[in-house]
Amino acid sequence: MVRLTDLPKSEREHLVSKNQPPLGPPAWVHLSKPISDLRIALITTAGLHFRDDPAFEFSDATFRPISGDEDANNLIMSHSSVNFDKSGFAEDVNLVFPIDRFRELQAAGEIGTLADTHYSFMGAGLQPEFYEASAVQVAGMLKKDQVDAVFLTPV
Amino acid sequence: MTTGISLVRENTASMQPPRALWVSFPLGRPLGKPRDSAFQHRVIKAALDLLNRSNGPLLEDYPEDAPEIEIEDTPACPVTFSKPNSNAPRWEGILSAEVTALMPWHDLGRRQKKGRTLVGLSEFSVKENAVKLGQILNHQEVPEVELQWLKAAIEDIKVFYLEAMMAQPSAYQLSQIDQAFWSETQMGAAILALHDRFAKHEQLSGFARIIAPRTAVLNAKKSRDKLPKDTQ
Repeated sequence: MVRLTDLPKSEREHLVSKNQPPLGPPAWVHLSKPISDLRIALITTAGLHFRDDPAFEFSDATFRPISGDEDANNLIMSHSSVNFDKSGFAEDVNLVFPIDRFRELQAAGEIGTLADTHYSFMGAGLQPEFYEASAVQVAGMLKKDQVDAVFLTPV
Repeated sequence: MTTGISLVRENTASMQPPRALWVSFPLGRPLGKPRDSAFQHRVIKAALDLLNRSNGPLLEDYPEDAPEIEIEDTPACPVTFSKPNSNAPRWEGILSAEVTALMPWHDLGRRQKKGRTLVGLSEFSVKENAVKLGQILNHQEVPEVELQWLKAAIEDIKVFYLEAMMAQPSAYQLSQIDQAFWSETQMGAAILALHDRFAKHEQLSGFARIIAPRTAVLNAKKSRDKLPKDTQ
């Protein structure tokens, strides 16, 4: 469980040291249509990519696109942190990148459509401002893909 | 607009993203349970429901826990991993033999998962990487170059062990494999030995923290501290 009170002191202190102030003034977008009409993209910070893609480096603010057409079972992980359990991801890609669950939601009509492209970052070793250029780039591509909402998963 | 999962509530509360669903699941498991689509769908639905709210920032607690995972006690492993003798071990032979012993399990696991494997970051095979790692350890030095290779090699080796151990019948609960790797295998001992060398290095001490988790390093230290001095 990631309840800080359940963790050893060293882990607790390490995680608390990751607290950050807000990146800017609060941003809020109202839902303009039903969830069943939304076009949704997934973004993970788990350091996922395909085997042929460059692996993430120790500290790396770049991102990897994940095409919605590709088989997510071929995704591998080059996250710099060694302080989390990878056995669940080895068992089931959807535990970290729930693409099959979202395909099921699309098929059931519970969401509108899925983006053509999803994105993966590697969330470790850098302060948030280092990701700004990549984030701006991805935001532009999400707009071009006419994405309404993004579902974010950490690891 | 965004919604998503929060694993460390305190971090999310400090940054105040517009919408986040805090889950009590372990790090590495943001959707809670592998191979349980109903469970995963419940988590996703709760996070998507936040899109309907009219005011934020929102940090909501998901009410359902993932099944309790006991990581303190690991069962005996059906494959014996004998620890290397600390008197001038020939690491490359020891590590190569251990990888070879696990190879059939890794093959079996890969077949069970229709070919899926997380191994593949390094351009070299797991066995080649194990031998090279052993050679580095035998020379009692810190590899100051090829760090990118070393990181990929160690990641590949760790997921190879993880997948091989997962394939053994009822050997471990998934969550116990990581602890077993660090406390029972020769490869775990080898990487911890390399960790200690990096940790003492003036310029490369930061590399230590990306090859071995803090809990494994602390547990290894506790185990060493318990041993009588003449056996260390």
